[in-house]
Amino acid sequence: MSEFLRSYLTVAIFGLVGLALVGAFLGLGRILRPDHPTPQKLESYESGVDPTGDTWSQANIRYYIFALLFVIFDVEAVFIFPWAIRLDAYGAFGLIEMGIFIFILLLGLIYAWRKGVLRWA
Amino acid sequence: MLAALVQAGGSFSRPSVDWHAASPELILLGVGVLITVIDVVWKQRARSLVVGLSSVGLLAALVPVVTLAVDGTPRSMFGGAFVVDDYALIMKAIFLLSAYVVVLMSTNYIAEGDYWENEYYSMLLTSVLGMLLMTSARDLISIFVALELLSIPAYMLATWRKRDLKSNEAGLKYYLMGVFASAIMLYGMSLLYGSAGTTLLTGINKAVSATDKPTAVVTLGVVFVLIGFAFKVSAVPFHTWAPDTYEGAPTPVTAFLSVASKAAGFVGLMNILFVGLIGRSDVYQPLIWILAAASMIVGNTVALRQTNIVRMLAYSSIAHAGYMLAPLAVVSADVVFAGGGSVVVADQALRATVTYLAIYAAANLGAFAVVIAVARKIRTAEIDGYQGLFRYAPGLTVLMTIFLFSLAGIPPLGGWFGKFRVLEALISPGTAWGSTLALLVVVNSVVALYYYGRVAVKMWVEEVPDGDMTPVRVPVSLAAALGLTAVATLAFGVGPGLIGHFTEVSLLAGIGG
Repeated sequence: MSEFLRSYLTVAIFGLVGLALVGAFLGLGRILRPDHPTPQKLESYESGVDPTGDTWSQANIRYYIFALLFVIFDVEAVFIFPWAIRLDAYGAFGLIEMGIFIFILLLGLIYAWRKGVLRWA
Repeated sequence: MLAALVQAGGSFSRPSVDWHAASPELILLGVGVLITVIDVVWKQRARSLVVGLSSVGLLAALVPVVTLAVDGTPRSMFGGAFVVDDYALIMKAIFLLSAYVVVLMSTNYIAEGDYWENEYYSMLLTSVLGMLLMTSARDLISIFVALELLSIPAYMLATWRKRDLKSNEAGLKYYLMGVFASAIMLYGMSLLYGSAGTTLLTGINKAVSATDKPTAVVTLGVVFVLIGFAFKVSAVPFHTWAPDTYEGAPTPVTAFLSVASKAAGFVGLMNILFVGLIGRSDVYQPLIWILAAASMIVGNTVALRQTNIVRMLAYSSIAHAGYMLAPLAVVSADVVFAGGGSVVVADQALRATVTYLAIYAAANLGAFAVVIAVARKIRTAEIDGYQGLFRYAPGLTVLMTIFLFSLAGIPPLGGWFGKFRVLEALISPGTAWGSTLALLVVVNSVVALYYYGRVAVKMWVEEVPDGDMTPVRVPVSLAAALGLTAVATLAFGVGPGLIGHFTEVSLLAGIGG
């Protein structure tokens, strides 16, 4: 039983260290940083121009869908670059494999296009 | 730099693919892609075609499962990361059949509810594909990929009632808790990989059981991985998402989550425990013991107070997760490496959980099918709505009673055999811990009888409150789902040798015990 407690003590210590680290970093920042708030500093940042409205403004949901579509190409690139460099070694097998992969990814894009997601209306 | 790195990777040899062993997954993948292609070409005009296609796909994937089972030789691919043995095959069969019943339950529900249909079925098939992969995964990476593949479509399915706030809440809670659990599990996996230097479960077992006492890193890794799976199987105290998600999700999806998704969590857990961590039972046994005991007690006590039948079934499914976890808490390390008699103990525990999963799947799917059928008339899932059900829907009442009493474990319905196997696995090692857990299982089964019985009393004894005696019209596909689950529930109870024969599986053979 004590054996069991000792091994789980590790987990408890780990959790406490995790909490302590977060606290320590936040606390350290508080101690070290200068604190001179001015009205300009408390304004929300909008690329340097004067902010309009408040921070809880709604963004068009289409931005999110476009971001998702971007991920299709992003993931594709991550896998295609290493594959392209070693294409000679992978041969026909690799070509077919990558063909299937790209087909399934493209299907996702075609699906989005058919559902009218790409129209900004 | 990347080029240099990749060039340094050494020569490439084409992995040999056993097409027969991979064919259940490939068929499902093919049908899933085909459904998307059909959807792209014909859009919602192809709705009726898609339902049929997904049923046919699920049954077609069952064919190679059967031929592989007849063949019987264990097959291994990709350096042992993908294994097809009897255990994987019986679980694949359970997943495919459960998904088929879910499709039958969904047909009218989804068609009449103004939902996106083609996407619904392709998401469902994708999730089942992840489950099939999970049964064969014997490697941390393939386990994680399978887990995400089965979870991500399930998050979306939970929000399928898009304009219903409760469904949105269901999906969001499920998603946030699921992602949180994945993160914890991934951290645990990275620690296990760090200490073992391999992602293969057999290699991890060698590395973690090399020392007499667990190292700190291994302990953390094991605990984090178990916590991740505890979320997936909704074991207390990681169950908080389950009741809200089950209540808000469309009912066929709830059935799918509470049966197939939970079973998939158990499959992943059993793969990791029996193949990867069996040598470290000193770390996982106490944790699983606590999870099992807490799930049984909390699940059953809270279920007593529920007024909504879906929430009641949600808490009952938490309690059932406890019963299924219980045998895993007595799987011990000496077991494999001492050889001889104790291997039987570990195998017995695995068989108990697999048997329980199969029987639970049949009864729970059936109970949800009745809930869907009754909701077509009374338009609510409140238990009070079931008053006097026998007066106008005697068939449904009999079926619901069969399913509930099977869940409660009353002979001659299937549930008793599952409970019997669990108790047998708990008592046979002869340890105090195992016997205490067995006692908890028995006490909890009695408590559970109260809330299952309460629904039965409402249906059989009480009068119809508003006197509306029009019968419930059950569509053909839903009737088929009810028939299949009822036959399975009765068959398991009357001829337990039937399922007992198929669950004579072992995970230990592969690790040289």
